[in-house]
Amino acid sequence: MNTNKNNQINKYPTLSATLLNQSKKRIFPAIFAILFIVLTCSARTLFSETAENVLIINSDLSIKNYSLAQTGFKSIIPNPKGEINLGSKWKDTSEIEKRIREINPAIIYCIGIKAYLFARELKNDATLVFSSIINWRRLTLDENTYGISSELLPNVQLTMYHYLFPRTSKIGILYSKEYNEEWMNLAREDAEDIGLRLVGVPIGKKTNITSALKKLLNNVDAIWLTSDPMVLSKTDSVRDIFRQCDAADIPVFTYSEAFIDAGATLVISADIPTIGKQAARLALDLLSQKKRNEKVNTPAGSHISINLKKVQKSNLLLNTEALDSVNQIIQ
Amino acid sequence: MGMYGKIQHILSRACDHTIPHKKRLHTILSLVFVFLLSINARALSAGHKYTIYFYNPETNINNFASLKKEFDFYLSRFGGYQFQPFSERELFEKLITNKKDGIFIISSWHYKKLKERIPIEPIMVAITKNKSTCRRVFSTTRVISDISLLGGMNVASASSEDFTKNILVQMFGENKGNIAASIKILSVPKDIDALMSVGFGMADAAVTTDNSLTKLAGINRKLHDKLKQLLISDETLLPIVAIPKPLDENHLKLAKIVKDMETVAEGKNKLNMLGFDGWKTLNESEKEYLEKE
Repeated sequence: MNTNKNNQINKYPTLSATLLNQSKKRIFPAIFAILFIVLTCSARTLFSETAENVLIINSDLSIKNYSLAQTGFKSIIPNPKGEINLGSKWKDTSEIEKRIREINPAIIYCIGIKAYLFARELKNDATLVFSSIINWRRLTLDENTYGISSELLPNVQLTMYHYLFPRTSKIGILYSKEYNEEWMNLAREDAEDIGLRLVGVPIGKKTNITSALKKLLNNVDAIWLTSDPMVLSKTDSVRDIFRQCDAADIPVFTYSEAFIDAGATLVISADIPTIGKQAARLALDLLSQKKRNEKVNTPAGSHISINLKKVQKSNLLLNTEALDSVNQIIQ
Repeated sequence: MGMYGKIQHILSRACDHTIPHKKRLHTILSLVFVFLLSINARALSAGHKYTIYFYNPETNINNFASLKKEFDFYLSRFGGYQFQPFSERELFEKLITNKKDGIFIISSWHYKKLKERIPIEPIMVAITKNKSTCRRVFSTTRVISDISLLGGMNVASASSEDFTKNILVQMFGENKGNIAASIKILSVPKDIDALMSVGFGMADAAVTTDNSLTKLAGINRKLHDKLKQLLISDETLLPIVAIPKPLDENHLKLAKIVKDMETVAEGKNKLNMLGFDGWKTLNESEKEYLEKE
């Protein structure tokens, strides 16, 4: 009878046995769920402990150079407290402002002018570090504003010219007295230090750039096209500079990749990931209250593009040993 | 029924729960088998290319697109060869662990770390100005007599952070490891950037090769003279060419193509892009250096 009863029990499990069986099935998912929650919480705690009190505001991450600056920055500070991409589309700024207030960063890294102006409007106590802004000197810098400029020092560019083209010694330059007289005097001294000669032709609002350049071309080995606002004020005159130089087989050395298609022989610009890294080092120094001598640092790395077809056409002597310094070769 | 239609049909049958379990498993396994076979067939039909795998933590080479384009173009005249540069050490090591289809251009420092894990044999070493070695120099604009004063400095370097810290420990001495650890490395694209960074105040110091300092003397004497060479490392071998074991005919063929690059102007230009003038076969002392811990 007993055996029979046991058999019955085995065949038809009691409610308690069913519950026990079911609870066994549930216990593992429950343990996993608890573990998951505990681990997630501890990871969050860990993250908040290691995250630097820095917020990145990017003008537009879809722009390659802005994205590269952010990547460079994050190679030094991988866990900033927040990252905001303003982007090209309209966004509710009040939401972004609310988020920034919540984050309450000690430092805001602003990539591009849009991000900088946005951060400046916030009126919070954060220190601003900017980069990827062309001509930062036009900005009014507050006391708690620092940055990395986008322009290489003239000395750096001249040294690279001399390294790549050791026989090119006379370099012509158009500049406006209004904006760049002081810069030109310094560049002239730097050039002399390395055995180069800068031949400058000052231009004003009424100067005919075509005829000014014509005179210069007879007297120089290369033209250095800088970011002078008066020289670059009209698209037509820029096009004319490249056309005239090409006709005279005089190479154009310049500062922006944008001129490669126009016919530049050599472009030396600031290396963007290095700028991001410098901005991160600057942010870390500021966080640790390390005293800064300069508010705006110049880029430490260069990016070089060279058009070999143009080199051959102008009959330039290229130092092939310097090819390991060239980032992009155009054939 | 098109190809995609057929696949959809087979999949729908495989997932049909009215089909017995065993039969469904067979169908799925057959599908996986056919898929693997098709991948293999595609790889075979594309033709196998022997590759030069390049990774050098001693230089922050970032012109990969140009390097690949230039080398591939040069190598194409010799047949199915290609050039594959790497910027990430982990990725490079992971990929080459089981690779037998190419040769490696790696730094001697990296070779010493790799040889324990991967069966490879060094055969050639790069040369610059007829030298197969270089030294690293720690330059600043100030004369500093006490190493402890270097702690916390911003040091510009075109080498990887790992490599630079390793060199710093060697330069400072093993007992000054904490000072080397406190150094903040600013990675810049090239040695000349590192030297200019110090000279023009963007960094406190630079770690570069002695060759780069010699070059700077020829380009910008004033800047060169401004730099004080505080510490100099031991001599290290320039990058080497290594071949995975067991060697086969294709490895040797590709190694010869690489060796002969210096004999033609076009090939030499490509080597210049890597920072070398040519190659030489390793002698006994160089081999000994590479096998030493």
